[in-house]
Amino acid sequence: MLTTSRALAFLLVMAPACAEEFFEKQVRPLFASRCAGCHGGKKPMAGLDFSTTEGLRQASGLFSEPSRLIAVLGYEDRVKMPPTGKLPAAELDTLRVWISRGAPLPPAPPQASESGPRRNHWAFQPVAKVEPPPVRRSAWVRSPIDAFILAKLESHRLSPAAPAGKLTLLRRVTYDLTGLPPSLAEIEAFTLDSSPEAYEKVVDRLLASPRYGERWGRHWLDVARYAESTGADEDRVYPFAWRYRDYVVEAFNRDLPYDQFVREQIAGDLLPPPAGEAIHTRGIVATGFLALGPKLLAEVDRTKMLYDVVDEQIDTMSRAFLGLSIACARCHDHKFDPITTRDYYSLASILVSTRQFQRLEGGAAQLLYVPLVDEEIAQKWRRHALREQHLKQESELFIQRENARFLMAHQARVADYMLATRDPERAASLDPSILKKWVAYLNSGKDSRPYLAEWYRDPSPGTAAAYQKRFTDQALSWQAGIERWASEVEEARKNEEEAPMRPRIPAGPDRFFPDVALAGAGPLGIPEKERPQRFAPEPMARYQAAQAELKALEKTRPPEPPLACGVREGKAVTQHVFIRGNPANPGEEVPKRLPAILAGERQAEIRAGSGRRELAEFMGSPANPLTARVMVNRIWQGHFGTGLVATASNFGSMGEKPSHPELLNYLAAELVRRGWSVKAMHRLMVLSNTYQMSSLATPAQQAVDPAGRHYSRFPRRRLAAEEVRDSLLAVSGTIDFSTEGSHDDVREAIPVFMQEKRLGQDPDKSRRRTLYVPLRRSNVPAFLTLFDFGDASTTGDGRGESTIAPQALYLMNSPFLTGRASELAKSLLPLTPKGRVERAYLLIAGRPPSTREIDAALGYVAAFPDVADLTGWTSLCRALFASNLFLYVM
Amino acid sequence: MRIAPLSRRELLRRTACGFGLLSLPRLLQGSSPLSPREPHFAPRAKRIIFLFMHGGPSQVDTFDPKPLLQRDHGKPLPFKTPAAFARGRIGGLLKSPWQFKQFGQSGIPVSELFPHLSTCVDQLCIVRSMVGDSVAHGGAIMQLHTGSNVFVRPSMGAWMVYGLGTENQSLPAFITLKPSMGHGGAKNWGTAFLPAVYQGTPIGHGGSNLEELIKAPLENLRNATLTNEQQRYELDFLEKVNRQAAAERQYDSDLDARLRTFELAFRMQTEAPEAFSLAGESTVTQKLYGLDREETREFGWQCLMARRLVERGVRFVQCSHTYRPGNEVGWDAHSDLQKLHTKTAAMVDLPIAGLLKDLRARGLLEDTVVLWGGEFGRTPVTEGANGRDHSPYGYTMWMAGGGVKAGFVFGATDDYGYHAVENRVHLHDLHATLLHLMGFDHERLTYPYGGRNFRLTDVAGRVVREVIA
Repeated sequence: MLTTSRALAFLLVMAPACAEEFFEKQVRPLFASRCAGCHGGKKPMAGLDFSTTEGLRQASGLFSEPSRLIAVLGYEDRVKMPPTGKLPAAELDTLRVWISRGAPLPPAPPQASESGPRRNHWAFQPVAKVEPPPVRRSAWVRSPIDAFILAKLESHRLSPAAPAGKLTLLRRVTYDLTGLPPSLAEIEAFTLDSSPEAYEKVVDRLLASPRYGERWGRHWLDVARYAESTGADEDRVYPFAWRYRDYVVEAFNRDLPYDQFVREQIAGDLLPPPAGEAIHTRGIVATGFLALGPKLLAEVDRTKMLYDVVDEQIDTMSRAFLGLSIACARCHDHKFDPITTRDYYSLASILVSTRQFQRLEGGAAQLLYVPLVDEEIAQKWRRHALREQHLKQESELFIQRENARFLMAHQARVADYMLATRDPERAASLDPSILKKWVAYLNSGKDSRPYLAEWYRDPSPGTAAAYQKRFTDQALSWQAGIERWASEVEEARKNEEEAPMRPRIPAGPDRFFPDVALAGAGPLGIPEKERPQRFAPEPMARYQAAQAELKALEKTRPPEPPLACGVREGKAVTQHVFIRGNPANPGEEVPKRLPAILAGERQAEIRAGSGRRELAEFMGSPANPLTARVMVNRIWQGHFGTGLVATASNFGSMGEKPSHPELLNYLAAELVRRGWSVKAMHRLMVLSNTYQMSSLATPAQQAVDPAGRHYSRFPRRRLAAEEVRDSLLAVSGTIDFSTEGSHDDVREAIPVFMQEKRLGQDPDKSRRRTLYVPLRRSNVPAFLTLFDFGDASTTGDGRGESTIAPQALYLMNSPFLTGRASELAKSLLPLTPKGRVERAYLLIAGRPPSTREIDAALGYVAAFPDVADLTGWTSLCRALFASNLFLYVM
Repeated sequence: MRIAPLSRRELLRRTACGFGLLSLPRLLQGSSPLSPREPHFAPRAKRIIFLFMHGGPSQVDTFDPKPLLQRDHGKPLPFKTPAAFARGRIGGLLKSPWQFKQFGQSGIPVSELFPHLSTCVDQLCIVRSMVGDSVAHGGAIMQLHTGSNVFVRPSMGAWMVYGLGTENQSLPAFITLKPSMGHGGAKNWGTAFLPAVYQGTPIGHGGSNLEELIKAPLENLRNATLTNEQQRYELDFLEKVNRQAAAERQYDSDLDARLRTFELAFRMQTEAPEAFSLAGESTVTQKLYGLDREETREFGWQCLMARRLVERGVRFVQCSHTYRPGNEVGWDAHSDLQKLHTKTAAMVDLPIAGLLKDLRARGLLEDTVVLWGGEFGRTPVTEGANGRDHSPYGYTMWMAGGGVKAGFVFGATDDYGYHAVENRVHLHDLHATLLHLMGFDHERLTYPYGGRNFRLTDVAGRVVREVIA
């Protein structure tokens, strides 16, 4: 124990001590303030430039120990600097520390002609054609993949594991391709099929199943950090996110070529529509990839907020498609990979020239919903809906303004009315109908109006005057609030935007003002039927006209077109580098173009449109070596647990190196050669002998290949969160396989016109596959998190596989699991006791039980009062669900 | 096959293994991501209780008296108003409706809002110069909890547990009591890219009914359909099934680890309810926390639970005063400052004082940091007629115990309490300091993700050594 905890402490300690940060935070400012005044600028004194990294690099001779610089600054040299006086000891110490660490400087920015090691990094090299290597045990090679794997095993004097048992393989490939266990019929069919093609037939059946897209679509949704709300501050619902989810499932099911899949997700709205269609519906939905990220909506600085949204998109996009973390270059040139701030802001300029919001300004920014119909129809619907919305707000505004006018006309008489309720002689100049209401108000419900206590104690003119003052203050602030809202409504009408709803205007320290003025029954409230007599005729007429128009509009309202959460083209923006990422500090202008390391220095500037189209073309092109490499590695990781590059979203120099570089190259070339068919890659991989090995390790394998990085055996894995829940539903025979469309909760949340509703959460109430359970970022269902679902806010590069006690609590106690165990038990009861055990094992473990297992199970159930009793069988099923037979795929 | 009763030592040895995280390097196999670990250097504190004042209490009405603000009430602010949240509703200076008085040996002034807490002022280390970067709740709360006001990052509790593990494997290492689901929700106790085992465990949420929560604080802690005996019988069978299946897999320690989690879970079923039980707390103690009074019962329960949990080795406990939009109660006093702050302070004052006294009496305060504060402070100028807007430019938080100076005030705001002007402490600095108290160099507690090493303090943070005793 001691040694291992030390080992971990050591791991924590040995993280690189951020030398560059130390330089940027402590050393550079010191040079800037103490030295660069003279040693900087156009003509640095003594030819020493302390104001730039390059200048410091050239002066590095001064920093090697024993350092001349320290001597000079310590006034120990002939030259004593700075001339104004010796530096404080603390600053000298800072420099000593820096020099003792070797005076590290940030790396030089990559030049156009750079030929340094970073540019030669393996991932940037073109995908070369590779032939499978020769192997000694060639009989084992069924697929070219096997040759690559076997060659490495042989070089380590290892042999591959024995083939997996037939039913083990069936369970493995079924979970792998569909996320579900094989059914009884599938087990039977495969057991009986002794033809050599039996396994291949299973693979083809699974790849053709709609369940396949649900499983592999979910892998992609991890990468796309898919969720149905904005997270962050407001956590607004993305009411049409599900269209993107369904698009992904469908894309995998129909084997949409991966290059096309990439292009559509970046710029599907700009691609030519499929023949016979007016708009590219699928493409618009696909841009949900960009639109569905976590984002702040209510930050005060809207420019920065927009650039944060763009940053999140650059980060997700570059990791997802390229395996690069380009977002690192927002504030400084990338520390480890050849990506500059110019590259970053070139990309940013593409995305800020893309329309991201319906409205960026206002209380909380409004999300953009893109109609999936002809522009003309969409415009018509939109204008109609807007007109209705404006009329509703304007009608409300007429009323509130008239209310406010009425209040202002009566506020000076509040004291008079109050006094008159006790002294009829004072009623002379007052409106009797209003006085009547005051009497009713002041004489009833005393207990519920503690704020009137003062009045009841001392109903004097002085008290009444105090109440009147409070009333007047509040009425003024109320009226001001209404007028502010009025100007916002007017502004929205001019801009053809949705008008804001009436804001919450503070109604005062207690209920006095709202009870008197705002409640219809209050003494100064105006119930609807009194409006004609209380309101001025002209606003009243306008109000009635608006109401009539609204009625008419409701009758002719065009149906709401289908909408998507996506992006569209925006106003082209001229982009500058933001120094240290700060939009308020623009530097040089950058052209719209692609990262130089990938597309070269000599690319033409993009001049028309946002540039998303060009970006999409480039991302989905074989000229870019990363796209294919990253994707085949993700597919490999899906099948074998770990990628050939273990850091699936980081192919940069800080990522892992590939365990089998030639195989990775081979697969990337194959993906392109086979028309970017993902299903072709699946077939290639799962039909290999490498995939069909047993997961049992021999002592030799355990010794030489403890982590399985040489693929000396198949890696055993735990079921993912979705597989646990989906299997419980499938095995108990209660799963709802309906596909597509929103979950009920989401359907309710869909706006009449851009309204909001919280997403329901409880996956226990649904019988649909977990993929379709609504996902709210600020409250991911606890069950999913428990089984390592991840975050749904950052792009995922593979799930964890934790083994923790709260999972055991779930398996032992969760009402959902017990419910499914009981349903399964019920379905077993018609069988003989032995038959029940056999079926339970087939369903849960994918194989029949051994005689010992049957005996143990029957012995177990026998201890319950009655063999026919459901309790015992439910308990048995629950125990099997909690067992490793169920939780692991061998 | 019945499992023999385990000694406590044996249990700890085995359960530590039971938490094995499969993705950790083989090097660590047999250890657990949650077993206790040594930090970088000798810590001053072993655990943290964070009393989160959701909404943002006003500094000039609580711990930062401003005579000039009282004098110049109603006048316009004599300098430019910084970016506000409630644009257009900001008015002139608004004096504090509360009197300040000096308390204790230290003579530190506290307003009348905290008649109980002021008796503990000699324990407090008050930082009057806190600074954050966000004017809106969402960003400010994220930054307070995770260091970033923009991106999804691990929460500070998750970092602490990642660094230190936990001393009690039968309880979650990081617990957040009745957290708000708004303004980031789970992100505020999440792990982002850290392994999921380090996430906080929420006990209910802001809107949960307290009495129901007291009865059933954790999910899945009971199987309603089984007696303890029946469950023991079921688990013994489960073990048999697993052992039969694993017979040929002698090298697979992970499967073994899975098996042990069930034994641990079985223990948790008894130990966790005990940790949350009020049965062992005397009437006097319950009164000390205000459990006997309606207004203080909810936060009092949170504070008492915090003490019970840290007593049992939980590393990081957060109590949250619930934010309720709609202006009935809460620190977010955009209007009706006087009413709202009076009501809200009364809900937390007695419980917090009770907690500090109780921790001290039990000798827990010396190695427990108690941290108090909101996501920002409030403006010294009015919003509307009688409210205060958000202000992250200079506000107060305080710490107590765990190696910080007691009866100490650090930093200062300007004459009106708007900007921190002296010894500014940014949220990054607060995080660096908390990590330091727990024994970590904040620049070295890192986690590799996406090609670089991340830390709680991003690329900033200074340990505020001046507040450390």
